[in-house]
Amino acid sequence: MSEESRREVRAGLEPSLARLWRYALVLSRSRDVADDLVQATCLRAIERADQFVPGTRVDRWLLAILRSIWLNEIRSRRVREGGGFVDAEDVLTSDGAREIEMNITAAAVLRAIGQLPEAQRETVLLVYGEGYSYAEAASALAIPIGTVMSRLAAARAALAKLK
Amino acid sequence: MAEEDAELVALIDNELDESRKNALLARLAADARLRERYDELRTAGAPIAASLQELLGQAPLDRLRAAIPADRPSRQPPSRFAGAGLRQLAAGIAIGLLAAGAAAWIAISAGLIGDRDGWREAVAEYTDLYTNETFSSQNPDAALQAVELDAVGARVGAKLTPENIALPGLRFTAAFMLAYEGSPLGVIAYVDPSGAPVLLCILAHGAADAPLQSERRDDLSLAWWSSGGRSHLVIGRIPDERAVALAQTIKKQI
Repeated sequence: MSEESRREVRAGLEPSLARLWRYALVLSRSRDVADDLVQATCLRAIERADQFVPGTRVDRWLLAILRSIWLNEIRSRRVREGGGFVDAEDVLTSDGAREIEMNITAAAVLRAIGQLPEAQRETVLLVYGEGYSYAEAASALAIPIGTVMSRLAAARAALAKLK
Repeated sequence: MAEEDAELVALIDNELDESRKNALLARLAADARLRERYDELRTAGAPIAASLQELLGQAPLDRLRAAIPADRPSRQPPSRFAGAGLRQLAAGIAIGLLAAGAAAWIAISAGLIGDRDGWREAVAEYTDLYTNETFSSQNPDAALQAVELDAVGARVGAKLTPENIALPGLRFTAAFMLAYEGSPLGVIAYVDPSGAPVLLCILAHGAADAPLQSERRDDLSLAWWSSGGRSHLVIGRIPDERAVALAQTIKKQI
């Protein structure tokens, strides 16, 4: 099984890069951290490829690794060191130097998503970006389905105020 | 109010079970204020998925590819044709990663295959690594498709667009660069309705023109031709005649 596991993980990395990066960016609200987070995820995935169950979804396994590294290593370290996060609420629509060219509606929506609390941003990303069902999101985030519902409702309510 | 919003959003997302859904629909039918709130939440959320899709196009793919670590080199050169050895070899071929300037290239093990047509064998070996899950979750929007195809086309010297690489019965999922013995090798990955991958590979190695030919390697069908200094190969776990038909179609389009 481990040979097959390693093979599937290897083959799944490249096609998942853009989505891993998007998740990392939505979580961290920092383009530098997002790059580091994807790199750390690739390393960890290869180190632990034997733990991947062949035939299951490698993309979701990678997203879970990324989240774990974010929560347990990167975010917690920054908080512990007292620096907190100098995150940018407009990072989804700007690379720091300039506004990224995109559809006006998308830019407004992404700016609003960037201003949501992390828990809401992440739930929105998994359900509306990655296509997780409520039950799948609840399982991935280790929260009750009711919490998924309330986070999505709060996110939509915040977006509704833009109108 | 928050609880009410949560129920409405779950209805919008089609996540309520039948009894809760019917109960809420009955309330909506009787309550204009609730209907107004339903519309607000639905409208507010409608562009979220497309907006998140736009973020994918910003991913610094070249830099990220360069971050995929190479496998540890195998201590013993594996037998080229033996079962386990071949799999090991194929893994080694597909995953040796080199960062080269702005682009990261997967370097297909050089020197393994000396003859000029050996690239098909190399492609067949790494195609064998792909499963129905590898590409099936990829669904780039038109803008991202155009960006990826443009980048790959620039490397192999061909104009590639979502329109001219479209193939009947297949969905485009990703375009990326590999290299074969120092020559750029563009890969355009599709999936059929079952998720099975089909690849169109374009190798820019100055080949002389050659007519369409086909062959079978284990469970893979290959159809290829050369023109304009490029060799083109359609490969997948599909019937031989399907590979040839796809190759004929793409040959007319690009």
